[in-house]
Amino acid sequence: MAAKRIPIARFLALYGIYAKMDLMWFLRDFKYAVLGILGDAVSNLTAVAGIFLLAWRFDGVGGMTRYEVLFMLGYSTLITGVFQTFFASNNTGHISRRIGRGQIDHMLIQPLPLPVQLLAEGFIPFTGSSNLVTGSLILAAAVHFMEIALPWWWIFSLIGNVAVTMLIILSESYLYSSVAFYAPAAAEEIAYYVIDLRSPLSQYPLSGMPLQLQIPLITAVPAGLLAWFPTMALLGKPPLSLTSFFPVLVAVLFFLLAQFTFRKGMMHYVKTGSSRYLTQGYRR
Amino acid sequence: MIAKYLKTASMAAHNKTYAGIMALLPGAFLRVVCLIPLLMLWRTLMAGGTETGMTLSQMLTYTYISAILSDLLVVESPLTNWYYDGALIGIYQRPISLYGHVIAQTLGGAVPGLLVFSLPMLLVAPLLKVSIVPATLWFFPSLVLSISLGFAIEFLFACLFIRMVNAMWIAYTLRRAALSLLAGNVIPFAVLPWGIGNVLSLLPFGSLGGAALAVYSGTASPLQILPVQLLWNLILWPVTILIFRKSQERMVSHGG
Repeated sequence: MAAKRIPIARFLALYGIYAKMDLMWFLRDFKYAVLGILGDAVSNLTAVAGIFLLAWRFDGVGGMTRYEVLFMLGYSTLITGVFQTFFASNNTGHISRRIGRGQIDHMLIQPLPLPVQLLAEGFIPFTGSSNLVTGSLILAAAVHFMEIALPWWWIFSLIGNVAVTMLIILSESYLYSSVAFYAPAAAEEIAYYVIDLRSPLSQYPLSGMPLQLQIPLITAVPAGLLAWFPTMALLGKPPLSLTSFFPVLVAVLFFLLAQFTFRKGMMHYVKTGSSRYLTQGYRR
Repeated sequence: MIAKYLKTASMAAHNKTYAGIMALLPGAFLRVVCLIPLLMLWRTLMAGGTETGMTLSQMLTYTYISAILSDLLVVESPLTNWYYDGALIGIYQRPISLYGHVIAQTLGGAVPGLLVFSLPMLLVAPLLKVSIVPATLWFFPSLVLSISLGFAIEFLFACLFIRMVNAMWIAYTLRRAALSLLAGNVIPFAVLPWGIGNVLSLLPFGSLGGAALAVYSGTASPLQILPVQLLWNLILWPVTILIFRKSQERMVSHGG
């Protein structure tokens, strides 16, 4: 509610401030910043290389061609890149860490609504965008090798799919992270489990797998909506005879659920605070 | 002599459960959630009949054992975290060897995961139609060599962390990336195209999880695997001790 009172110009100004701080780190600590950028890119490329090598060896997976699998891995890398660019810094994506470490207290005394801080604080366009660039290049290469002609509006479809995928990831993270309001020590890393440890699962091409597996992976544990489903939809063949808009439905449901649980957790937090809070913002 | 290491391992195991056994269940559940689709993926891939040098049964065994023994096949010690947060200074003050402490702490810390995840998964393996019988008992010495080499590589990475001072996260990311593909514990070397696996299996990382799993599943002869593992242990441990001794003098930590 409060976020609506912040004009768009203020939002952009905040993004500008965080971009400037990121650039300052990049320039001040150039060697480590470059190493960080390369490290992120290499890390993600290694992760997707395994699946692509398999797709190459087996000449595709479950009806998906080698280059369709490459497209899917490019989409997955792009999603990682968007997440890192907008939500990696200050753990705004891994929100259970902020909650579990008692750092929400810091946010509550800032002269900005919490949602605005959460949307702006994670922005690191210079040091966090390596996978965004790498993913875009992999996507472009896959489209090139598939030799398909894409209509002009396809890029908007891609942007829309990326936005929906991000909404699913963040909603899941905030949904499960709400547990950290009640169990800060035990649940401090729950967002890491939800986002990072499950990440390999989202890189599996689910085509050709049994329906009993596909259904849970596009609903209850929606790893299949993070790369596989959007890939098939963007290539004009949404799976399981579903509409291309199916991920929107799941995203909205997860968002509503996350909003409800997070608000409830916050209500608990403002009454009890965090037993792990230390003045320097670190945890016991 | 051994009692203090066993006590350290026991304390590490208890430490993992300080938030309650229930806190371990989400992690175990997530590992199951990741394992089942991977088994399905192999079934889908192998159904095409592509010649890989591995049968479907061997592939499923390889994947399953890789998941349930993941903490041992590619060991990840708390050493670098201790360095990062300054806790390492406390370890030096204890009447126990640093190497022994790291090994005992890591292996002890793996026990709760083995009990909560690995043991139940071993019991349900027949329901998933996965054979868990090792092809040869040479797997066990191979596993020991794999764990031993894993610790040598851990200490070498710690030296890299010390060199990189405040860029620990970068080194950590690179370490995970290198091990995820080069250790062969997720994708068997045998199924990689263009003979990549033949090259990787000869590298030090190739003597970690992938080597032990190849012996377990019977896709490689122990005579072929164990000498390479032994050789890398003999090469890397003296190098590790030498480099770590020098690196200790460079330790700087702002934590603690």
